[in-house]
Amino acid sequence: MKEPHFFGIRHLSPAGAWYLRKFLEEKAPSLVLVEGPSDFCGLLGDMVKPETKPPVAILAYTNQVPVRTILYPFAEYSPEYQAILWCSETKVPCRFIDLPSPVFLALGDTRQKQEGQDSYCVYEELDRQAGEDGHETFWERVMEQAGDTKGYHEGANLFGASLRKLSEDNVLERAENTLREAYMQRQIRSALEEGFDPEQIVVVTGSYHVEGLRGFNEGGAMTDEELEQLPRLNASHTLMPYSYYRLSSRSGYGAGNRAPAYYGLIWKSLCAGEIGRTAHEYLARIASYQRANGTPVSSAEVIEAVRLAGELAHMRGESLPALRDLKDAAVTCLGGGNPAAVSLAMADTEIGTAIGALPDGVSRTSIQEDFYRVLKDLRLEKYRDLTAQDLHLDLRENRSVKSEKAAFLDLHRSFFLHDLRVLGVSFGAVQKTRQDNATWAEHWILRWSPEAEIELVEAALLGDTVEQAASFRMKERVEQAGAMKEIAEVIEDAFTCGIPASAEYAIRGLQAMMVEAVSLEELSAVAARLSAVIRYGTIRQVDPKPLEPILSQLFYRACLLLPGACVCDDAGSNAMLTAMEQLNGTALAHEFLDQEAWLRALLEVAGRDDLNTRLSGFGTAILLERRQMTPERLKREVRRRLSKGTPADLGAGWFEGLAMKNRYALIARLSLWESLDEYLDSLDEEEFKRALVFLRRAFADFSSLEKDEIAENLGELWQIDGQSVSAAVNAPIPKEEEEEKEESGLGEDLDDFDFDI
Amino acid sequence: MEQQKVQRLPAEQLFQTEIDALIAAEKDPVPTGWRMSPRSVRTYICGGTVKGMTITPKYIGNERLVEIAIATLVTDRALLLIGEPGTAKSWLSEHLTAAINGDSTKVIQGTAGTTEEQIRYSWNYAMLIAQGPSPEALIKTPVYRAMETGTIARMEEISRCASEVQDALISILSEKRISIPELSVELPAKKGFSVIATANTRDKGVNEMSAALKRRFNIVVLPAPADLDSEMEIVKTRVEQLAGSLDLNATLPAEEVVEKVCTIFRELRKGETMDGSQKVKTPGGVLSTAEAISLLCGSMALAGSFGSGKVADAELAAGLQGAVVKDEKDLVAWKEYLENIMKKRGARWAGLYRACKELNS
Repeated sequence: MKEPHFFGIRHLSPAGAWYLRKFLEEKAPSLVLVEGPSDFCGLLGDMVKPETKPPVAILAYTNQVPVRTILYPFAEYSPEYQAILWCSETKVPCRFIDLPSPVFLALGDTRQKQEGQDSYCVYEELDRQAGEDGHETFWERVMEQAGDTKGYHEGANLFGASLRKLSEDNVLERAENTLREAYMQRQIRSALEEGFDPEQIVVVTGSYHVEGLRGFNEGGAMTDEELEQLPRLNASHTLMPYSYYRLSSRSGYGAGNRAPAYYGLIWKSLCAGEIGRTAHEYLARIASYQRANGTPVSSAEVIEAVRLAGELAHMRGESLPALRDLKDAAVTCLGGGNPAAVSLAMADTEIGTAIGALPDGVSRTSIQEDFYRVLKDLRLEKYRDLTAQDLHLDLRENRSVKSEKAAFLDLHRSFFLHDLRVLGVSFGAVQKTRQDNATWAEHWILRWSPEAEIELVEAALLGDTVEQAASFRMKERVEQAGAMKEIAEVIEDAFTCGIPASAEYAIRGLQAMMVEAVSLEELSAVAARLSAVIRYGTIRQVDPKPLEPILSQLFYRACLLLPGACVCDDAGSNAMLTAMEQLNGTALAHEFLDQEAWLRALLEVAGRDDLNTRLSGFGTAILLERRQMTPERLKREVRRRLSKGTPADLGAGWFEGLAMKNRYALIARLSLWESLDEYLDSLDEEEFKRALVFLRRAFADFSSLEKDEIAENLGELWQIDGQSVSAAVNAPIPKEEEEEKEESGLGEDLDDFDFDI
Repeated sequence: MEQQKVQRLPAEQLFQTEIDALIAAEKDPVPTGWRMSPRSVRTYICGGTVKGMTITPKYIGNERLVEIAIATLVTDRALLLIGEPGTAKSWLSEHLTAAINGDSTKVIQGTAGTTEEQIRYSWNYAMLIAQGPSPEALIKTPVYRAMETGTIARMEEISRCASEVQDALISILSEKRISIPELSVELPAKKGFSVIATANTRDKGVNEMSAALKRRFNIVVLPAPADLDSEMEIVKTRVEQLAGSLDLNATLPAEEVVEKVCTIFRELRKGETMDGSQKVKTPGGVLSTAEAISLLCGSMALAGSFGSGKVADAELAAGLQGAVVKDEKDLVAWKEYLENIMKKRGARWAGLYRACKELNS
């Protein structure tokens, strides 16, 4: 029995692509069968359109959660891609013959449930057996540098056979491969039944499968019933542009590609008919990258690097340097022995920035269709361009137009762009607006790139429209959130995207998490964020009412926690000061919050002696600002806090806290300064020194005008001319005194303000 | 036993049998001026077997670096080995020349006092004055002789030389010839000539090498031993070899002793414990592998002359103290290490801890 020609390849192998083309030219088959899900056949036409620029990939994904995907990337030098291209050039029919993608996805799903074992462990085993630095280099030497079709054939067979042998123990993987091969056999048989002459068929598969397919005539082929029984998931697929970067980092192929751009160079050299050129071009590119980035590299050094790489290969008995040799030569000759010096150049040369492209209108996913529809709808099409453009939005209603849609055009644009931002599609970047608190203005910089298209296709897994996908992403974020802050971000995003449903979901998540929250800092930060959303939410035409109950709860909880949280050292008190400020701001902004509870908490903080005195002082300051403290009470408090019995640093710390807020009110209160004056008088030398440190800190950021006013107060107290006091406190300290201070160990930073009493 | 009288024999004599065996079994093409093929050189350095004879590994570490070094010399480029002290730069350079030329003695030892004449050539002044310039009055430097014979010259510690002296190498390496204007002749280098230079990155008082000179070298950076096992391996091998030639009347230190020394050195060098759980203060001195080796030899000498002939904790403690503590600050770091790390290591380390503690009380 005659059999078709089997051509085993390594995926993403330039030499494979080259020799496969030669093989096809020689055999001139009338049908070419290629490994790849058979339901992808419809995409073949799009793949070979002249506007299609590899790398491209076919993505198959399930339509329901949990979303499973498989990805079939093709570079220009993929043997499969060249086979498809050859068929289109010569008008020979071409088919994918592997299991349909819904089956693949179902199998992957089962596998994930059954084992955590990494299916690529077989490559680790290969690494061990290949010697040198792993199988990549070994196969590069054996296959990519093969001299002719026969050599490649043999290399590929060796590769396939060893893979097969090594993966024998992996039962699951073997079972899956048996299934796939049975299906492929079935496809080959059906081609024969259609009347194709076996010798007129070329089958292109991974070399692993060659042996398995040879038995297509021995009854191993899959029957109709067996095919029926296979599990399937409801799935779709699409063609998408791909990038070398993605090809290198997550190709999804064990036999993947760590250096796609380098393999691209090999392909170029093969097409030019001189395989040795790869080494020259690789090193020359590194040199030119270095030059472009400011490191001088001479041609002589490149020549030396080429020679060294060649010599390294010779030592292994090879005629051509492999990537490993080239890298080592580049490090030694161009990087001065330091890999870090050339690592960027190597990454650029090996991985590169090439991005694939598809002709307009080719197999769009529903999210892509939605994207382009909305883009047109919102008249944003001109921004779909490779050069960055500015877009200024005014979110307010435009009253000069008739329709509601036109009136809120900019708002909807903003929603749309924020949706994309949430999805991680790098189309627009929002800029900080210059105008402070400009809640109605937004400034975007928009720039379209193929990368963004890829990101958009990936978002297809989340929903059919941009809005749905964004909403789904936010839901995911709520589910994965580990801290309230993250959920608060989702709430903010939900408002900026104009998706109230997501906000509601997030609020529920926040509520559940809040019950457990004990960190006042976190509570206050989240409260401040929510408060901002409530205050500015109306401009985005989203009703912030649903947020109010949760903010009330948060706020009340924070009030209860506040006194307890004020037990901390001075280092910890900074964070608490921010928290108190945020809570107070929140309380002032919203009438509906429990003001009573807040004032009660503040009174407790201000009145208790066992808390951090700085915070007590700050609490007093807030109360003072909110007119919740009578002058008499303040006077009493000052006297108590600054009495002789209190350690000097505590008293001064309290004053520092007090002086952090509403200074003008403080300065205006003569009685306060009287108390402070009396207090300082009462201290002895040692106590004064300690108090001085805190007081200096308290007055450090007073402006000289404020100092003037304090001086006037003091002048009045001491019955002397205010101006001379002012001159004394604002003047630099005379030399002798300075020295004195230094001796006493306090002089370092005591030179711009001093109560010289 | 003529050999025993010299403190240290050159590599080509120490390992003559290995070199001879490799030459006898040679199958691959041998470059001009070399005595064996690049592959055999690799076997000589990294170890292996040839015709049933075991070749001991001379360099333990990344074999790829050795390959790069050898390939550099095949392309007649000069080779510069850079690394911290104790990364076997000189050791590797000596063995490379021993294997390639059978002669590792064409050495210039670079110092701050090295002059240009010591690199190019100088004169026998008595003869120069008596007869005028003549080939007989010319004193050839190792580099000169290497050019004449097409072999490899070694330049140790090149970064210790003043930069104008380093620059003397530039024209030699690019032109591959020395002109002697006094005799109106020019000496072209024979095929096979090259230079292996070594340079230190850590020590103070090192002159920066000019970019022009660096460009004429292929630079290979030798790393400190990557893990405890390979460092122990290096220390054991070298201590064994040294102990043999120094006649120390002591048995070789036990595996456990080597492990302790290497552990302490690695931890202090890296500034954290082996398991990465605790930070350790790093002393100022360079705790190189070379120092670990000399520490162990020193401890063996102590044990042989004054102790039981076996390296015990007391000898080790004295050695460690000397190696780690170079000034007051180091003493603090060392005491901290003793109290915070070693004390808590349990019974296996208790003896050493007590011995170290005693020295510091």
